Amino acid sequence: MAKKQLYWKGEDELLKTKEFLASQKNEFSEALPLDEVFSENNMGLTANRRDFLKFFGFSVAAVSLAACNPTPVRNIVPYLVKPEEVTPGVANYYNSICGACSTACGTTVKTREGRPIKMDGNVLSPISKGGLCATGQASILSLYDTERLDGPILKGSPIEWANLDKTVVEQLTQMSASGAKIALVSGTIHSPSGLALIEEFKAKFTSTTHITYDAISYSGILTANKNSFGKQVIPSYHFDKANVVVSFGADFLGTWISPVEFTKAWSAKRKVEGADKIVKTIQFESNLSTTGSNADYRFPMKSSNEAVYVVALHNELAQKAGIPQIAMAQSGELAGGSIKQAAEALWAEKGTSMVISGSNNPSIQTVVNAINLLLNNYGSTIDLDNHSNQFKGIDSDLYQLSNDMQNGAYSAVLFWNANPVYNTPFASQFVEGIKKARLSVSFSGTADETASLCQYIAPSNHFLESWNDAEPKAGILQLSQPTISPVFKTRQAEESLMSWAAISFDSTTDPFAKKGIYSEKLNAAPFYLYIKKVWASKGVATDDAFNKALHDGGKFDSVAQVSTVPSFAVALNSIVSSLETSIGKKDQIDLILYQNISVKDGQLSNNPWIQETPDPISKVTWDNYVSLPKALAENKGIKNGDLVNVTVGKNSLKAMPVFVQPGQSNMTIGLAVGYGRKGKIGEKGEFDSIGKNAYLFVNTSDFSRNYIVNGVTIEKIDGAYELAQTQTHHSIEGRAIVKETTFGEYKKDPTAGNNQPQPHLYTLWETKDYKKDGAPNHHWAMSIDLNACTGCSACVVSCSIENNVPVVGRAEVRRRREMHWIRIDRYFAFEDKKGLVDKNNSQFEGAFITKEKGLAIADEKAVGSQFEHWENVKVVHQPMMCQHCGQAPCETVCPVLATTHSTEGLNQMTYNRCIGTKYCANNCPYKVRRFNWFRYNDNDKFDFHFNNDLGKMVINPDVTVRTRGVMEKCSMCVQNIQAGKVKAKREKRALTDGEVKTACQKACPANAIVFGDVNDPNSEVHKLFKNERSYRVLEELNTQTAVKYLTKVRDIQNNNA
Amino acid sequence: MIHDSAIRTQLVTGEKTLHDVTTEICRPIENKPSTSWKVGFVLSVIFLGILGLTLAITTLFGIGTWGLNKTVQWGWDITNFVFWVGIGHAGTLISAILLLFRQKWRMSINRSAEAMTIFAVMCAAVFPLFHMGRLWVGMYWVLPLPNAFGSLWGNFHSPLLWDVFAITTYFSVSLVFWYLGLIPDIATVRDRATTAGRKFWYNFFSMGWTGSVRTWNRYEVVSLILAGISTPLVLSVHTIVSMDFATSVVPGWHTTIFPPYFVAGAIFSGFGMVLTLLVIVRKVMNYQDYITIGHLEAMCKVVMLTGTMVGLAYITEFFVAAYSGVVYEQYAFINRATGPYWWAYWSMMTCNLIAPQVFWFKWARTTPWFIFMLSIVVNVGMWFERFVIIVTSLHREYLPSGWVMYSPTIIEIGIFVGTFGLFFTCFFLFSKFLPVINMSEVKSILKNRE
Repeated sequence: MAKKQLYWKGEDELLKTKEFLASQKNEFSEALPLDEVFSENNMGLTANRRDFLKFFGFSVAAVSLAACNPTPVRNIVPYLVKPEEVTPGVANYYNSICGACSTACGTTVKTREGRPIKMDGNVLSPISKGGLCATGQASILSLYDTERLDGPILKGSPIEWANLDKTVVEQLTQMSASGAKIALVSGTIHSPSGLALIEEFKAKFTSTTHITYDAISYSGILTANKNSFGKQVIPSYHFDKANVVVSFGADFLGTWISPVEFTKAWSAKRKVEGADKIVKTIQFESNLSTTGSNADYRFPMKSSNEAVYVVALHNELAQKAGIPQIAMAQSGELAGGSIKQAAEALWAEKGTSMVISGSNNPSIQTVVNAINLLLNNYGSTIDLDNHSNQFKGIDSDLYQLSNDMQNGAYSAVLFWNANPVYNTPFASQFVEGIKKARLSVSFSGTADETASLCQYIAPSNHFLESWNDAEPKAGILQLSQPTISPVFKTRQAEESLMSWAAISFDSTTDPFAKKGIYSEKLNAAPFYLYIKKVWASKGVATDDAFNKALHDGGKFDSVAQVSTVPSFAVALNSIVSSLETSIGKKDQIDLILYQNISVKDGQLSNNPWIQETPDPISKVTWDNYVSLPKALAENKGIKNGDLVNVTVGKNSLKAMPVFVQPGQSNMTIGLAVGYGRKGKIGEKGEFDSIGKNAYLFVNTSDFSRNYIVNGVTIEKIDGAYELAQTQTHHSIEGRAIVKETTFGEYKKDPTAGNNQPQPHLYTLWETKDYKKDGAPNHHWAMSIDLNACTGCSACVVSCSIENNVPVVGRAEVRRRREMHWIRIDRYFAFEDKKGLVDKNNSQFEGAFITKEKGLAIADEKAVGSQFEHWENVKVVHQPMMCQHCGQAPCETVCPVLATTHSTEGLNQMTYNRCIGTKYCANNCPYKVRRFNWFRYNDNDKFDFHFNNDLGKMVINPDVTVRTRGVMEKCSMCVQNIQAGKVKAKREKRALTDGEVKTACQKACPANAIVFGDVNDPNSEVHKLFKNERSYRVLEELNTQTAVKYLTKVRDIQNNNA
Repeated sequence: MIHDSAIRTQLVTGEKTLHDVTTEICRPIENKPSTSWKVGFVLSVIFLGILGLTLAITTLFGIGTWGLNKTVQWGWDITNFVFWVGIGHAGTLISAILLLFRQKWRMSINRSAEAMTIFAVMCAAVFPLFHMGRLWVGMYWVLPLPNAFGSLWGNFHSPLLWDVFAITTYFSVSLVFWYLGLIPDIATVRDRATTAGRKFWYNFFSMGWTGSVRTWNRYEVVSLILAGISTPLVLSVHTIVSMDFATSVVPGWHTTIFPPYFVAGAIFSGFGMVLTLLVIVRKVMNYQDYITIGHLEAMCKVVMLTGTMVGLAYITEFFVAAYSGVVYEQYAFINRATGPYWWAYWSMMTCNLIAPQVFWFKWARTTPWFIFMLSIVVNVGMWFERFVIIVTSLHREYLPSGWVMYSPTIIEIGIFVGTFGLFFTCFFLFSKFLPVINMSEVKSILKNRE
């Protein structure tokens, strides 16, 4: 039954009109506003509520989607055509040569996606044996240096290579034809191919002279050996064969000739385990050098008096040997008869001893030669037959060149790896000479002091972009290969010379092509082909042999020549007058110019890693300074932070900062060269004004360059300057942080120095067992031999590169905020021969004052005297990084668990979780945690390599770049551990000991750092943890550190002497 | 009914009637602000602006704008934090513990003391928040909130996490307690309100207070319960703040004496600050009859007692360090007294141990201008105490290679000065808009109540 309709919707329905009935047939009785919706015209005006909501919803969604994408899109695009051997995420390693200096250490370059990101020592290299110094490590960043020139330059504006080549060749050809002299000025070149090329160049342009000079001259040794033995070479020194080394100011562990090689050998001979003798090291010096700080006996001397002491040593030994002494008017002995002591030590080890001198005076070096000869050291510890080629410059050549240049004798001058306007005392002569020359070309990669004066700069590649070879020692051939295509439009200097001398290869005519030397297409780099040709003549005549040499980084299988005893050809009394003139006036102060361990000769001093590496002794960064002895400072009323003017004759440096250096000999001051670089072209040259250039003080009397200058005056001026130091407290306060003993004691009892009673250890926490599924897991640990560590700081730089540690600059270091994950703590102990401090006083530790208060008492009592206790200091170096405590104080206090303990014993930082309360750093007893006070990347206030796209290419992609506000610290290179584990797992084998190495360990030239799995009973670190010398720093805190140190052993009579 | 003793001195003098109390205490709320109030308020807001500016600089550029370094990673920030938290102690002590002990003299000072507590804790909170390198995540990562990281919680071993709980609990309980006590007085203001705005807002915040017997009964019960809850908090907050240091391994921090020593120091500094404020308030607002010399004298006695307690703690620390035979501990204390920061140590000793001993003399306890000066000395001394504990312990720790000096930058000084701006801005607003003396309670101790 139909329901009766009670209500109706309208009149139409009640009356049932026609229209109504018609409309009822449609689904939608009213017309739909479709036209309005679909028409675009009045959309906004006619929108109803629903439409409004739709539009509103769409707009909000669209705006928020648009707003969600504030960062630029960065695509990760796979290789379209994958280069052979490059797999994203997998590193490639190439053996090559470090080009930071002419020492030519072998290096292994790590590249990622075609970018070199790390240099380590090449373990196959007979020179460096796997070590690489701080400077070498840092030199990789100079590849990504924004100051590099991006192409050839003519008088300050860019030109094309073709144009440059055309005009240069025209001019050279014309000059050669007319006999106008051409000078090719270079640093030491010992590359066989480079030398051959120069010969070819000289044959093409016949008026060419090749002049070699080194920024730091070893001309004294070269000349002395020429005079004494007829060989103008630097011999090979074998520290590993010596039982006694006496050095007069030669910093062989820091900067002298080949420090990595010497440190390797020296530290090997310092191993006390099972040794009957270790290399007793006696150092006479003015500045406290790295070597002096590691010497068993260090005697301060006034270096301008060196001739007297060297002659005294000779005469002592001559007396013992019964041969004629040198008759010199002046004679002398150092306080305490130390020359006599040294003579006795040497005489006892005749044939296994060594005497060296850092002097550049040929006469002094001749006496040193005579001493070594009478000690029978030639043929055993000193080898003239397998000599070094690392430095070949002769000072008289440079002197002659500078005079000739000034007189306009050269029409053309080419500077190759030479910057005489900066690093010689003849700057004005060269400036004038370059102006007079019709053609001046520099191959420098940056617009350095010399290059910016030259007409043309034909920028050479960085050494990591170049093919090269080297023969640093007779018979040791090394190969260098490019690890990246040239970053800029640069061309290797060798190739420029080849191009100008029109040396080219034609496979159809070249005789070597037929021997199968050129299997490659001839569009290969010309110098590569040239090297192959040269090497073919050296017995590497097949592709296989060449490729093996390329793989190894050189040809190291040649048999060394038998080292012979040379005959001595100098009548010693004939050089007496020359020795006498070298002696400085007693009442005048000596200026000792030295090289800082990382800045060295200053070639790479715009490198932020190099500048931020603290000096091992003073811990100063970013500046050179006048190193002042305490007595002189007191006498002149100068203290740290003051400024002085330094004057020698007509030359002076104004407003130099001062550092009162313990160990600096009285009446001497030290000043580092290598600072005060200046460049000119363009806006580049941000690194101007780091320190001041001290090369102008080099003494050039008798045509040589002498780095010991008698007669310097210093004058205090108004003003103050704070040096940026990373360590400001210098005494150890009598704490047992560094343990040491004497070699004699050690031989009696290997636990000597480390046999204090064990503290009672308690812990609140569970003891960790480092097991996985019941089986021993890895437990990563490290052992550091304090007896090997020299403080050279290679580890500091290596760690910074490996772990993307930011450079913070001078101002932040002054605020004590350097970011280094590993540092080398250096402590002084002041010798108290005069008994200034009461022996019963608690400030007194044996014969040495180790406490601040004791030093203050001694200083007060010593007023008016020579402050001998400041001159005679004992030094220890202690590398310090995160100790990866088993019971870590930092871990318990973090409120958000950002720092935790791994199952493999690592104390790990989760940067993403860190909120930066900094409590962990406060609670760290070792003070190794570093906080990101600012954002150190992409920040114009920190305009170092993290602030430009080029510099960022050196970043290690395996390690996070930390953001502002988080804590960071040593991770024991966890990225390497993971990589090693993954590799072993893929190869279905256990990880072998030594397979994973930390960056610091790889860099260490002294092999002081050993890393490994202490749970593996066969690992080296496990054995070292069981060593009698092994101890933990602050063991009484029961932090159960995973880093243990080995007691320092000094080869001295007793530890208090 | 409460029977007043005939021989005891009156807690409120001046023969006040109930009406007098109401009119006098409501006067600042109902009248236009005085010139001195305006000047003080503008000055406070300027300092508050300094706080805003310095915090903005810190947040934009980083903690590097402070003077902290690789060795001293807490400096003025945590010194100021502990300083302010310590000041925040007197309020709850006065309102809760003295309530439980039925000390009626607290009635005319507890309101302002509690207000001071709340404002001081707000100032204190600035430092732990902004000392974090990444406060934008740190603000909530320290809280045990459910999160998208899996089961990732805070580290319950960390005293910093305990701190978060301790301070937030203390702040919220103090705030509730203070507000509860305000309700009857807000209702009084509401009832007297003549303007629409005042009527609306005081009506809103009085939460429908009727003043019936039942409401008064519940009010009393809740007050007592909150007093009971607050009492342990007085002790716990500074105990836990002290554990920020005591649970570490830093020589000079790692000390079991810290909890009682810190609580005593907090009460000491809290009363010092209450004295500073009340000596001004009673003068400026003409409340000498409510906050009498008797009140000041009682508080001076507390200051003397707690000052001596902290002094005893200082000496005990030295004894324990000497007795321990631990070189690091011994050096830490010798360094405090004779090292490069000796001046801070001896300022602390002079201000906290020696200066309050003058309160043995009745004149000193009853002379307001002298009390005011001494209260400033106490505040300065307690600031130095925290500076000595934090900075001189950190700057020379275990390894001498890391020994450095620390000095604050202008930014850190600005933040500290700025927190005074925050504190006084709040206090001035409080004195303008809320009754600074608890009218309803004071009325219960009047002699002439009808």
